[in-house]
Amino acid sequence: MYHKQRHLGQSGCLLCLLSMEIALFILYPIALYRPRMILPALGLHGVLIGAAAIQYGRIPLIGLHDTLGFLAFSIGASFAIAGWNRKRGLFSYITIPVLLVFLTGSVVSPVMAGPLPPVLKTIWFELHVILSFIAYALFALGAVFGVLSLATKERSAETHQYRVVLLGYVLFSLAMFFGAIWAYLAWGTYWLWTPKELWTTIVWLFYGLYLHARLVQGWTGKPVAWMGIAGFVIVLFTYVGVGLLMKSSHEF
Amino acid sequence: MPSAAYLMKNFFLSLKTTVWTLLGLVVLFFIGSYLMPVHRNIFQPMNDLLLFQWVAGVAAENPFQTWWFFLSLAALVLLAINTIVCSIQAIKIRWSRADFLRRISPQVVHAGFLFILFAHLLGAAWGYKISGGMLKGTFARLPENRALYLRDIRVEADDRGFPKDWSADVLLFENNERVAMGTLGPNKPLFYQGAGIYLKSFELDPRPVALLMITRDPGTAWAFTGGILFVLGSAALLVLKWKQR
Repeated sequence: MYHKQRHLGQSGCLLCLLSMEIALFILYPIALYRPRMILPALGLHGVLIGAAAIQYGRIPLIGLHDTLGFLAFSIGASFAIAGWNRKRGLFSYITIPVLLVFLTGSVVSPVMAGPLPPVLKTIWFELHVILSFIAYALFALGAVFGVLSLATKERSAETHQYRVVLLGYVLFSLAMFFGAIWAYLAWGTYWLWTPKELWTTIVWLFYGLYLHARLVQGWTGKPVAWMGIAGFVIVLFTYVGVGLLMKSSHEF
Repeated sequence: MPSAAYLMKNFFLSLKTTVWTLLGLVVLFFIGSYLMPVHRNIFQPMNDLLLFQWVAGVAAENPFQTWWFFLSLAALVLLAINTIVCSIQAIKIRWSRADFLRRISPQVVHAGFLFILFAHLLGAAWGYKISGGMLKGTFARLPENRALYLRDIRVEADDRGFPKDWSADVLLFENNERVAMGTLGPNKPLFYQGAGIYLKSFELDPRPVALLMITRDPGTAWAFTGGILFVLGSAALLVLKWKQR
């Protein structure tokens, strides 16, 4: 009887979380009208992430369902800050659909319920993952500013791209640093030769290349804008593609 | 006609060298990430041996699969020289007090990067990595005149009977004297004078066995110092660039 009640309680909870996720598909597109109108969607999404954390008793950043949802939330938060004073325009028309694609990916991916495996129960893992996804969101915004720069020829778009990419790069470096501490405590080494680590280094080197290329004559302008877009494609492959196609220490 | 030394200096001082080398590294790592899972038997030992042991024993004998790795090493050497030369040039220029932070931040980032590379070099050549199973209640001989005693293995199971946590009690001896003791577990190694003892896995049937790993990597402190420098330098650069209108 107790188990049945608990099962029903869990089903009710899951149903409630699912209806909140569906509500996000109505709230996020409102930001197409004006970027700052994303706040209600972000508020609800934050509650959803918090509720999942309480329900599972852990940080909800395991598996594609959690991480894609958190990536969508991080893109939304970065969009709110970067677009606070912006009016309706290409910036919203690109970012919101991208965000919705990740949100859809999250909803259709299976939920990995239950507690964390022991090796993931450390603050270093949590910091590593949270910072990585915030950095990914900033790189996504960098790609959006790249499209804006190419489409509108606005010089400010290139400056915005540089700023969000630089912030993303610092956070990504910090995420790698925390990941190295975690790997050292878990596996006795701060670096492992696996495809996932190589791709993480590719992301790091590529954005390092972007930051240097801006200073070289012939690379500024269009090439750099394209690099901001290509960088996010590399990020996506590192995040989803490597996990699906190649075996590594990052499979959980 | 410019001298060879002049051309070389210009080559290493050029940002174009940085950009093209970074691009080359991206391409080489891309190729490597494809070849690694395809030739698993060649690349798997990379994480089990010291890197130079792997280079001498495995990589050198399989050049058609490992060429990207050797080219990556060459590119990293080129990048390191390029970084050092550019940083020396930047430091040589007279600085005013007003733009000290703007000038020092990139050099701190570069120093961090070089520290990380140096750490990998140290870790690749020196230190040790040993792993193996130990029965509960037995001793194992370790390098540096040390021995390890595995006193106990404990496993905590969840409602479904799956292990949710595990630990092992160990005692470390040096020259027949006990020098350290502790409980190992996931993310909980025991450190003693630069060496780390890790509980990698365990088995309970037919007898309790712990799979332990003992490592010593002289590059670790350099790597973490480099990481801190890199993050601090780039964060300072970020603040300065964001302030700049």
